[in-house]
Amino acid sequence: MADAAVLPAPIAKKVPGRFWIVPPAALLALLFFYPLVLIVQQAFMDDSGMANVGEFVRVLHARFFLNALINTITISVAATAGCLIVGLVLGLILAFVPFPGSGVIARLIDTFIALPTFLVTLAFTFLYGSAGMLNAGLMEAFSLQAPPVNFLYSTWGVVLAEVTVYSPFVLRPLLAAFSLVDRGQIEAASVLGARPFRIVRQVILPAAVPALIAGGSLCLLLTVNEFGIVLFIGAKGVITLPLLIYSKAIQESAYQVACIIAVINIALSLGLFGLYRFAAGRLGA
Amino acid sequence: MLVWSRPGRIVLWLVFALLFSVLFLAPLAVILLSSLADQWNGVLPSGLTTEHYSDVVQGAAWKAVKASLVTGFLAGAVALVSGTWAALALRIQDATLARVLGVLFFIPSAVPSVSVGLGLLVAFSHPPLLLNGTIAIVMAAHFVLISAFTFGNVSAGLARLSPDFEQVASSLGARPAYRLRHVTLPLLAPYLVAAFGLSFALSMGELGATVMVYPPGWVTLPVSIFSLTDRGDVFAGAALTMVLVAVTLILLLGLERVTGRQARS
Amino acid sequence: MSVPAFTGSNVMDVDAAKIRGAGSNVHFDKVSVAYGAHVVLHPLTLDIAPGEILAMIGPSGSGKTTALRAVAGFVRPASGRIRIGATDVTDLPPYERGLGMVVQNYALFPHMRVEDNVAFGLRAQGADKALIGERVKDSLATVGMSGFAKRYPRELSGGQQQRVAIARALAVRPRVLLLDEPLSALDAQIRRNMVEEIAKLHRDLPGLTILYVTHDQTEALTLADKIAIMRDGRVSSHGPTAELYRRPPNRFTAEFLGRANLLPVTVTEGATGPKGFAKAKLGDALLAGAARGEKPGDKTLLCIRPQHLSLTGDEEHTNRIVGTLKEVHWQGELTHLVLDVDGTPVRVSATRLPVSLPERGSVVPLFFAPGDTSLVPEDARG
Repeated sequence: MADAAVLPAPIAKKVPGRFWIVPPAALLALLFFYPLVLIVQQAFMDDSGMANVGEFVRVLHARFFLNALINTITISVAATAGCLIVGLVLGLILAFVPFPGSGVIARLIDTFIALPTFLVTLAFTFLYGSAGMLNAGLMEAFSLQAPPVNFLYSTWGVVLAEVTVYSPFVLRPLLAAFSLVDRGQIEAASVLGARPFRIVRQVILPAAVPALIAGGSLCLLLTVNEFGIVLFIGAKGVITLPLLIYSKAIQESAYQVACIIAVINIALSLGLFGLYRFAAGRLGA
Repeated sequence: MLVWSRPGRIVLWLVFALLFSVLFLAPLAVILLSSLADQWNGVLPSGLTTEHYSDVVQGAAWKAVKASLVTGFLAGAVALVSGTWAALALRIQDATLARVLGVLFFIPSAVPSVSVGLGLLVAFSHPPLLLNGTIAIVMAAHFVLISAFTFGNVSAGLARLSPDFEQVASSLGARPAYRLRHVTLPLLAPYLVAAFGLSFALSMGELGATVMVYPPGWVTLPVSIFSLTDRGDVFAGAALTMVLVAVTLILLLGLERVTGRQARS
Repeated sequence: MSVPAFTGSNVMDVDAAKIRGAGSNVHFDKVSVAYGAHVVLHPLTLDIAPGEILAMIGPSGSGKTTALRAVAGFVRPASGRIRIGATDVTDLPPYERGLGMVVQNYALFPHMRVEDNVAFGLRAQGADKALIGERVKDSLATVGMSGFAKRYPRELSGGQQQRVAIARALAVRPRVLLLDEPLSALDAQIRRNMVEEIAKLHRDLPGLTILYVTHDQTEALTLADKIAIMRDGRVSSHGPTAELYRRPPNRFTAEFLGRANLLPVTVTEGATGPKGFAKAKLGDALLAGAARGEKPGDKTLLCIRPQHLSLTGDEEHTNRIVGTLKEVHWQGELTHLVLDVDGTPVRVSATRLPVSLPERGSVVPLFFAPGDTSLVPEDARG
């Protein structure tokens, strides 16, 4: 009945079960939130244990940090835009111009979510690296001395790899949204003489906007946090925040600097997480 | 149904084929090819060999496979228990607290993995809790990173479960523990299996936190693939990547079959 | 889909007395339920006698399901007490209340066979193995599902699943059986059969107290000993089924329970004569109707059911009104006519019609017996 289903039913006895949440919450608090607090503490404390924002401010103005921040944001925004475009094109074709086997292909793309991200980078070095298939082919064909294609070791190499890895995260909610679009509406519009572009713009896209926002904000979050792709490409000029944390902590043992960068990276990520939750909440996911 | 003309559809399908092969098919194919490549100086390898596979199998690869599998299973199992526990326990909190705690349980998925590793290093490098240099710190990192996904999957499963099942069970005299064991958990089983599969796959591919915390002697597959390629041994790296992909896919497909059978029975 | 009778040939094997538990009464003592500031059930006082079927009916949101869930223990009353038999169950968890419950979507456990579903309650209570086997057999036989013990729920039709759900509830020998819209997920045809079979079940288990929540008045009229009509979280009327139908105490009851024509009349003379009919005026027509203590000058409603109106008069059908024929719907067994009587639409369901049906727009007399009427006060609101 409506009166029972709509309203959350008050539970007859609430008190005895309340403490069951403690064990899993305590485990997560110990292994995640406590270390998180320590990172923040280290970021704002000097060696003598006094609160000190001097180092924090210094890092904030350092060239290496600003470069990494700009790189991170550029790559994240560009990769997300790429994911949205690729996801939308693939999604529209899979959903509305299906071909034999399109269901299998959709599932295949979906399994990419489960594969490690650096796989793609490794493959790209074979494809587009200085000794890769593309360069070898071009050098043979045109008798060149130096490899003509060098984008892999730039920001754009990272962007392309991230588009490959993360467009399934846009495709997945998009296909779910497309499956809810009334096919009769599209057929009716076609019968009335509407061109495909018009139908896409006026019927399909409005229905897909929430999915695009949710998928896009998830992509922003994941690309800001991406580590494996950047590490594997190993280009000198392409340092992002996670890579900087790794190199400061592991290669230079500069833990305080690593913690300061981590605080900023985490703040950025949590902001994007908030955006994603908001978007997904609007979507009803 | 959107594009009625045959040429139009064919053009779109070609666009799809191009995007799909450049982005998804070519990388997988080229990894497979390079893992079998003898020497590769031109457009195509000069010959094929299984040498890289036998190399990695004889070398440190088995240890890496073992380390990854053990880490994945243990961290996945702990995450499954704690995620299921948390999702079930959240249902009996009042609504506001449940919402806040629900977000807290999701936050680990939003924090960069490198920072999770850094935090564990900072927190557990001194007594009394000295985990740095042990296998436990790798487990902890993987657990933290996958816990949100198991929690999310199980919560989604619980939300889809009609309250009727549990209420009817209660009215028939089933106490909470009996009801959990005989009604709630069996009905959640497909979600539990899916949650475990996803967290296992994530753990198998985890690099950022592992590379921060791993002790010598517990090198997971992604870490050893990185050190191979970093040394320039890209073919062995490719072979090991194929091993990783194969192990992950076999496990996911196996779990899917189990879930499928459960759903049918 | 063929539906085997609830109690077909195999009912003879069952010793019905074994299942005939001593039912308990259910007592609502000023029970109210609120979600925050939103009151969904205003203080309700009601008694269900042992062995009685009480149907709670009302529109969505009227509080009927909330009342049932309060008995089951899924909703905690904001105030008041609920007693089952001699036990005050208000503070007991659901699993200590000794009830059986059947819900709209059956909620059979999909991972258990039919026999394990039926055995569930007894196993949960730690009953003896031999007893469980015997009870499962009996309960399945009672609902005519003995041959399906090894099946899984998904291999059964909706009607069969609902039988199993009833067997599962009966197997624990509940003090009270709670039925929450048990038939509303079924097709109309199967629903009609199931109503008859639940009636038969109650004849076999006369001691079983049943609280039956539904929005379907046909189910309530067929099954219930008593009916409580719920509206906006309150009991609008409560009484024996036939009584409530024949003499609805208010407009809402008259219209919710069956179909009713309610003619606005002015009382001219209070109850007189051996049958206690009052006289009332509708326009120029002077009508006699069953009274409820009205005084001359009162404005009230005269309730007459569509099937009690006739196009021909005789010595019994002495009341006569005149209306303009607006619509005629032939439905095979019945013909529905709609007439306009002084601005009030009046429905007639006739089984027999004059050979030549009057034309639409013509003025037709209608006859009815004073004994089939009742005077109904207008509701305070709405």
